[in-house]
Amino acid sequence: MEPLRPEEKARILSENPEASAAELDEYERLLAERFARDPALAATADSRRREDRLAELYLKLFPEEHDAVGHALPRTW
Amino acid sequence: MSSEAHLRVLREGEDKARPFTIAIVANPVLEVARDSGHFVTDPLAHDESAFDAATAYIEKALFGRLYDQAEVFLGTPGIADKVRVVTLRIAKPATDPENALVAQDDVSRLLVARRSAFIPFLERFGQRADIVYAISKSETHRRSSAWPASDDDDGPGERFDLDGTTLHHRHESLVPGTIALHAEACSLTALHEFGHALSSFSNGLITDLYLDGPAAMNNRHGRPIPSAFAAYEGTTFATDRIRDGIGYPVSWRSYHSQLHSPGYPAIMDNYWLAHDGIPERCQHDRITRRFLLDRVRAKLAR
Repeated sequence: MEPLRPEEKARILSENPEASAAELDEYERLLAERFARDPALAATADSRRREDRLAELYLKLFPEEHDAVGHALPRTW
Repeated sequence: MSSEAHLRVLREGEDKARPFTIAIVANPVLEVARDSGHFVTDPLAHDESAFDAATAYIEKALFGRLYDQAEVFLGTPGIADKVRVVTLRIAKPATDPENALVAQDDVSRLLVARRSAFIPFLERFGQRADIVYAISKSETHRRSSAWPASDDDDGPGERFDLDGTTLHHRHESLVPGTIALHAEACSLTALHEFGHALSSFSNGLITDLYLDGPAAMNNRHGRPIPSAFAAYEGTTFATDRIRDGIGYPVSWRSYHSQLHSPGYPAIMDNYWLAHDGIPERCQHDRITRRFLLDRVRAKLAR
């Protein structure tokens, strides 16, 4: 997947002081892991846990991108 | 072929029944969000000029013709003239699931290829490809991604040895490598995603090197970092022990192959970190380039 530019990573962390660099790194790593496994294979407990954790981190790292019910809002990047 | 489909041949490729083929398709419909079952017309469907610009950019990136580009890749003599590149655009797509090649991810701003839709889509227009780009002009999701191919491991291929294990550069795939690329992608993004898509799940995966990712053809795990990265086809590839000066974070297990151009990140790493602000000067690391071009040559020879 396309790497984040350094300024994008800095913006994410500066806009969300409660999120850590380690959490952003974990988020990126989990996204990359998704593309390392054939999606045609049946979901496993690990893959479901990964997607659940991605959802948690997404809400934490990008809270301004969701409305009250968790739907993504438009953003330019 | 449907009268509303526009097929253009950018490069003829080798005159044979199954040339190695790259297809660039204007994504007709977006699934918003992934696996939601909700579909909308992709904004690109109404922007022919944006699609034309994206196809020109992709061709340049793949064949080493971006300004300042150091990685020649498919522009390599003996390869360039044999690769077929076609583009496909549907003028008035119905918002049907079978026209949705790309989904907007629900837990990121990634565009994600709906890989199972590609073969039936292309077959409707009499096309078949080894790697497919689906271009989207999503207004909210601008980050590109790619799925490796699912090789046809029951079919023919060229054997290769990787650290004592026999694998194959398969001639055909059950599912081609698929790329969801944003229409405004630039620099080495199209080439980076092509690296993923040209690899496969069963015969050597090419993964992202800018994170502590899974073990793959181009990524190993272990500390201390050894001097030898891997033995591929009788050649021992050295390790990049310093990650080009970016350095491996202390928490990482990953390490990478030696670079062709120390001083610039590998293309599968974060090319935006090029020290002089010119990411186009990045090149593939040594084993990645060798492996990917061998894979292309095997398909060219089928």
